[in-house]
Amino acid sequence: MVGIISYGAYIPIWRISRDEIARAHGSATMGGERSVASFDEDSLTMAVEAGLDCLTGMDPKEVDALFFATVTSPLEEKQAAAMIASALDLRRDVLTADITGTLRAGTIAVKMAMDAVKAGSAKKVLVTAADSRVAVPSSDLEQIFGDGAAALLIGEDGVIADIEGFSTVINPIPGPWRREVDLFPRRFEAKLDTRYGYLHDLPTAAGMLAKKLNLSPKDLAKVAIYGPDPRSILGATKVLGIDPKTQLQDPLFSTVGITGTPHALLMLVAALEQAKPDERILCASQGEGSDAFVVKTTEKVEELKGTRRGTNYIKSKMMLPSYARFAAFKGVLDTGWPSQLPEMPRSPVVKYWRDEKAILPFYGMKCKKCGEVSYPIGRICMYCGEKDNYEIVKLARRGKIYTFVHDYLFGPGNIQPGDGINPATKAAVDLEDGCRVLMEMTDHDLKEVKVDMEVEMTFRLLHERAKFRHYGWKARPVRG
Amino acid sequence: MGRITDKVAIVGTGVTKFGEIWEKDHEDLLVEAVYEACNEANVDLRKDVEAAWVGTFWTFSGVAGDAFADPLKWYGKPITRVENYCATGMDAVRNAAYAVASGVYDIVIAAGVEKILDQGSRGLPDLDKMLLGAEVTLNAESAPAMFAMAAVRAFKEWGWTKEDLALVAVKNHYNGARHPKAHFRREITVEMALKAPMIAYPLGLFDCCAMSDGAAAVVLTRPEIAKELVGDEYATIKAMGLAVETLHPFYRKDWTGLAFPANVKAAEMAYKEAGITDPRKELDFGIVHDCFTITELINYQDMKLCKLGEGAQLIRDGVTTIEGDFPINPDGGLKCFGHPIGATGCRMVAELTRQVLGRAEGLQVKDAEAGFAHNLGGPQAVAIVGIVGRPDWKPGEK
Repeated sequence: MVGIISYGAYIPIWRISRDEIARAHGSATMGGERSVASFDEDSLTMAVEAGLDCLTGMDPKEVDALFFATVTSPLEEKQAAAMIASALDLRRDVLTADITGTLRAGTIAVKMAMDAVKAGSAKKVLVTAADSRVAVPSSDLEQIFGDGAAALLIGEDGVIADIEGFSTVINPIPGPWRREVDLFPRRFEAKLDTRYGYLHDLPTAAGMLAKKLNLSPKDLAKVAIYGPDPRSILGATKVLGIDPKTQLQDPLFSTVGITGTPHALLMLVAALEQAKPDERILCASQGEGSDAFVVKTTEKVEELKGTRRGTNYIKSKMMLPSYARFAAFKGVLDTGWPSQLPEMPRSPVVKYWRDEKAILPFYGMKCKKCGEVSYPIGRICMYCGEKDNYEIVKLARRGKIYTFVHDYLFGPGNIQPGDGINPATKAAVDLEDGCRVLMEMTDHDLKEVKVDMEVEMTFRLLHERAKFRHYGWKARPVRG
Repeated sequence: MGRITDKVAIVGTGVTKFGEIWEKDHEDLLVEAVYEACNEANVDLRKDVEAAWVGTFWTFSGVAGDAFADPLKWYGKPITRVENYCATGMDAVRNAAYAVASGVYDIVIAAGVEKILDQGSRGLPDLDKMLLGAEVTLNAESAPAMFAMAAVRAFKEWGWTKEDLALVAVKNHYNGARHPKAHFRREITVEMALKAPMIAYPLGLFDCCAMSDGAAAVVLTRPEIAKELVGDEYATIKAMGLAVETLHPFYRKDWTGLAFPANVKAAEMAYKEAGITDPRKELDFGIVHDCFTITELINYQDMKLCKLGEGAQLIRDGVTTIEGDFPINPDGGLKCFGHPIGATGCRMVAELTRQVLGRAEGLQVKDAEAGFAHNLGGPQAVAIVGIVGRPDWKPGEK
């Protein structure tokens, strides 16, 4: 049976307390905290992180298709999935697709993955879902939203959970929506959306599935369901007839917020992390209708435990000091990075294309004569001078700081004069394979950066020169 | 391999006031320096000078031979523009010197100019554009960041501190306060340096040289012609060493930050050419590239004035003050002159000449007969060392 082979997740390190958001506006707080994508993160980079987590210990070359589900792709015309596939070092003949336009995109991607596997056109399909939504400042959504990503590897061999069934219902009700020219999603009437959309569609899809599989609410160990807000989720549990205390998977509202497209999958990942064999979990999303599917865990669910970071990312966090920093990270407050940069007469985009292997999947070279690993890739070994006698090798993802600087002149992306907020920390990092690279650092506390500090590579937006989004790798302190 | 020792004489020097010179452009500055040098050398630019080398780092300070031809309206002559990072100015002198030594030309000019302030005063202009345009694969760093990373290692390995760095700034500001052409002519205290804003941690404002405009020029000829022009009032070039290393040292695991390979090689070349085995005993003083205070301390070591790790001890012991055993940067260095890149090395050669001819009023090194000048450019990528002395100076212990 088609099922889930592996899972992964990603939550950015930054949090802001809802009290601080409320304080900035003089409004009421919903309590708890929400996650915030850093200024150099977006749904594409978070999908890479969740994908990496999901593929830990696996050969990325075995993946046959990659789907990227989001309503916040950083690119209107350009497929994010192809870049994600390159960053994850997948094969060149994989099927890639951005699945977007609805918060239901994550579960749609799961269905498409299942169908591809069933049809025999793919053995393993990686589903990534990520969102970094921006809400109107001071609106309730600003407190409700959170940023994050989830990933599932779908296939037939070695599954940790069978997908027993899948049901869909569509319902093109008004909200939420966002036109191409809008930064913020709009709602016509939240109560209408909840009553005639969410609380109608999700139970409908779940009910269709329960009938098909002949299941009753007590058969479910957990339910992992999206909701536009925590109160609506509780409302849904009532309609579904499940006990919110024992059966509802933590909706992650107090720690992360509602992440949008990835949310149901993120809750599913959290449920799978705790699940015992032979347990059923309902996963359901909603957006212009609803998708529901039920998984039943196998013995193998135990084997994956502890091998993925998954929702442990929630525990590893740093608090944003102020609402202003939050607003800058979300692009609501323009700090001049990268919008105010002088135009560059020469675009590095060609080089970005030419050196893709060095930039996206992060390969270096290993000299066949002296054996040294170096970066970037050139015809002549920088250590022994040997010409045209090397192999390209994937660089290690971890290392130690040899030395570093907090550069107040060049900001992130070597941008002058910086982002106006932070100095850019750069570190000469000795990777575990012996290669030394100069990396920008991110997600760090300036005071904690030290020689010999352990760091790991993280995929980020480097800069936006020539109006092209240049992605690549940075170093961050190893997240606990 | 041949030697340049005593084959080339410096007969004239011209140096503009360095600083924020808003009212003059790069052409005005170059004209000022070149005419001053010709005047001192008793040569006529249009009648006597046969060829010129001009150093400009940025294209906005002049490109091609026209960087010299147009300001001076000196057309139809062999002129070459030189660019070699912060070694640009001294490399113009080096190329001009070899042309004289070859016997092809009798009298030549080496000059350099940079007009930085017009492009903005917050850090070197356009570096990010250059680095990013060429090397999207690689991360880059601002100029102070390149050396801050060495300071972090020196602090870790040898226990050097920010106070040690501050001592360098205090010493150079003391000297610069006495030089009429310096940009900064104010003494500072250790406390001021330590309290200054951070530029590239751990380097603060006073650890960094200024952003300045300026130009310099020297007239070179063969010693026998020098005597006709200026009598005994000339110096000779004893050696010129130049070494180029990678632009991306932070991608090499053999980069330690404790010694700069280009420095070490350029110094070895120059000392060998001049016949020097112990520079601390045989030379009288030095002018090193103190783009940042940490650079000066590491330069002490690379220039073989002390052993590895002992650089900070020299400044603590006062060895390198103008009254010390081996004065370094008696002019105030880049700390006080700033670093208009094309001009700097050329200015240093002029400064060496002034010192060995006893013309450095107010900051004269006692009994200066020979000294070295040094530049280190880019991320420690290019180093040049020139040794200049009185015509009769010979290596060996004093």
